[in-house]
Amino acid sequence: MKWIKKWYYLILLVSTGAVYLVCMNRWQVHANASGDALGGSGTQSPGYENTGDGGNGGPSVSGGDGGWNGPPVSGGDSGWTPGADDGDWDPGDDGWTPGAGDGDWDPGDGGWTPEPGDDGWDPEDGAGDSGQPDDEGTNGQVPYMTVEDDYFADAVFIGDSRTVGLGEYGGLEDITTFYASTGLSVHKLFTANIVPVSGQKKKITVEEALQQTTFSKIYLMLGINEMGTGTVDTFMEKYQEVVARLRELQPDAIIYLQGIMKVTTKRSEQGDYITNEGIEERNVRISQLADNEKIFYLDVNPLICDEMGGMEASYTHDGVHLKAKYIEIWKQFLKEHAVPRD
Amino acid sequence: MHDTLSLTLEYNSERCEYMVFSSIGFLLFFLPLFLILYGLTPDKYKNLTLLAGSLVFYALGDPRFLFLLLLSVLVNYFLGLHLGRKVKKKGKDDLQEIFDLDIKYKRSKRQGKRRRLLAAAVVLNLGLLGFFKYCARGDGIPLGISFYTFQILSYLIDVYRGDERREMSAVNLATYIVMFPQLIAGPIVSYGEVRRALKSREFTAAGLQDGLKVFTMGLAAKVLLADRIGLLWRQAQIAGFESISTPFAWLAAAAYSLQLYFDFYGYSLMASGLGRMLGFELPENFNNPYMAVSVRDFYRRWHMTLGRWFRRYVYIPLGGNRRGGLRTIFNLLAVWVLTALWHGSTLNFLVWGLLLAALIILERLLAGIRLPEALRLPASLMSHVYLLAVIPVTWMCFAITEMDQLRIFLGRMFGTVPAVYVNSGDWRNALADYGILFAAGIFACTTGMEKLFRKFKDNPLGAVVLVGLFWLCVWRLQTEGQNPFMYFKF
Repeated sequence: MKWIKKWYYLILLVSTGAVYLVCMNRWQVHANASGDALGGSGTQSPGYENTGDGGNGGPSVSGGDGGWNGPPVSGGDSGWTPGADDGDWDPGDDGWTPGAGDGDWDPGDGGWTPEPGDDGWDPEDGAGDSGQPDDEGTNGQVPYMTVEDDYFADAVFIGDSRTVGLGEYGGLEDITTFYASTGLSVHKLFTANIVPVSGQKKKITVEEALQQTTFSKIYLMLGINEMGTGTVDTFMEKYQEVVARLRELQPDAIIYLQGIMKVTTKRSEQGDYITNEGIEERNVRISQLADNEKIFYLDVNPLICDEMGGMEASYTHDGVHLKAKYIEIWKQFLKEHAVPRD
Repeated sequence: MHDTLSLTLEYNSERCEYMVFSSIGFLLFFLPLFLILYGLTPDKYKNLTLLAGSLVFYALGDPRFLFLLLLSVLVNYFLGLHLGRKVKKKGKDDLQEIFDLDIKYKRSKRQGKRRRLLAAAVVLNLGLLGFFKYCARGDGIPLGISFYTFQILSYLIDVYRGDERREMSAVNLATYIVMFPQLIAGPIVSYGEVRRALKSREFTAAGLQDGLKVFTMGLAAKVLLADRIGLLWRQAQIAGFESISTPFAWLAAAAYSLQLYFDFYGYSLMASGLGRMLGFELPENFNNPYMAVSVRDFYRRWHMTLGRWFRRYVYIPLGGNRRGGLRTIFNLLAVWVLTALWHGSTLNFLVWGLLLAALIILERLLAGIRLPEALRLPASLMSHVYLLAVIPVTWMCFAITEMDQLRIFLGRMFGTVPAVYVNSGDWRNALADYGILFAAGIFACTTGMEKLFRKFKDNPLGAVVLVGLFWLCVWRLQTEGQNPFMYFKF
């Protein structure tokens, strides 16, 4: 059988491939059946951020980035969460000069002051589950107050890579807690090991972490990673489950549901499933979950978007994430929309 | 802010995925199908199959300019025929010439004609390239035009000089220029390197499998190294250059340096592997550039086919280093300005080219210094350090197309620009996340990687590893999407 010796490499290559493809297919079918958000189909446009293994640790940063500024980009799972005990952000360090040099925005300028009914979104979608017409459009009438950074001391920020950015550049690392990971989605939120444990190498899930620690405020921003799979309805179904579970785990906490941050108009028009229209649709539905007693809806988009309704192009490099120096806008917005704890 | 990459990818965003080697479409559909067809084609028609396949490959990526490519090949084929027409030497053969007093005049007239024809050909081809690169905005550059233009020119000049005989077969010439392993992003193959193979070559089990192995190494370099370490560079861009710490800036520059290398080297390996599968020995493009001891040495190891093109067709004709020091400086500047223009139309490329020229000139001036014996070893070590410090800085000039952004990034590297909203722990996170990739990348920069490959590729263990690598890459591509090769813009 001399020809086997001659061709063994090709034979090995092709047979391994056959096995691989069959397994992939089976896994695909299974994954689709269970409505999992995991991408991986060769035909599906592999998301801008792929949960992969849901943000599991270390340097397993995924590549395959379709664009430093472009088509389906995978931020992959960077694996680290800027938790409170992580990173050495030091306000005295050379970096922290708000508005130094090239601050082309000015908090006092063109800023948005919390005025009733003045938000960029439609007040008709106020009341969540209270179902009472009187509660409609109350978001604009919620008596938000402005607070200092220490308000966040007993808060937790849960989200995807945008929240990671807030953690890295918001200057809150020492004060508050971040359970955030690139690629996080509502489907993986409770089961992905993204929360670092101090002194240990392993990470635990958000579910476990929320069972161990009590927070008074929960900030949640999720939704962009799920846009590649399922529908708005399937997303909202899961989202509501998430919110319900958060209520169970942290019954006394205020929950701030943050509207999904928009992308630039250019990014939105790229032709994949990430569009501002889709984001807007989801935000409208998310805002309906707010009851203005324990659950509030906050949408930072009016402050960071341009006239066309997309993220201001100069605020971002890739059309999706705010540059470090503009994260302050978001943080300031959150500080100005705090609900007093009674 | 746009750098080369994002420009490339904006351009690529509407493109079909097939034209990228590191894509599912190519790996699982185009390549196997093509190889089967090619294998089934009888030997004398194999060029035709390769040509047809390459045109399909091109059309899948850039249908708009397929016609231009074909036209270009055809026109240059005829130009080659004319330029290659033998100019009779001193009348050894023709009896009549002994009596023809006009012979010298006629010959010089013919020479003049040939020279003018070459000049016209050069202007035509370069003009087309220049037009698309510098004038035609918005619509994008025809895929691969920078590469195939230079390849065509090398053929024409070689034929004119008499270094090569003209290719009589239009199919063969077209195959030489258009064949898909090297059409999009090089290597810039000289006609002499493939002339024989075009006429007759073998499609063998050994060649096919060996080529697949080399191809796999290139694929892995791109998908597993370049694409992933590139994410660190991307992080710097996303944060905004004003918001990175100085250590992070250096790490990001190093990441970009590695990414650019493995991306391009990976592509060149894939091209080489594909060539080998088909029976061609394509030239190498890289020779462990990061092991160089000077910038001059670096560019004898980086994108070698482009370097030799400029040396053969610009530097040496201008006189090289044989016309005195001042002329040498001028020649070097000329070559580097042209190199910069070839790479891109924005100002930063000119900065890049001039910086490199300055460094090389400086190195030449210092080269004459004789060091005492005791200082030789430390000097040798220092030269490596010097190179590894300087090259990433030059790559930043290459990577960042907006001058203001470049100023900010370089300022962050050297601490001359104040940081805004920096997370001072950013570089620690970066090391934690990318440390392993850096280590792997550094190892792969040394000759160690090649030695390993050569040692193991022919034994069963190596086979298993390579097969595993291949399908790992496929899996990666399926789950993460693809990252078009950075040099496609060119």
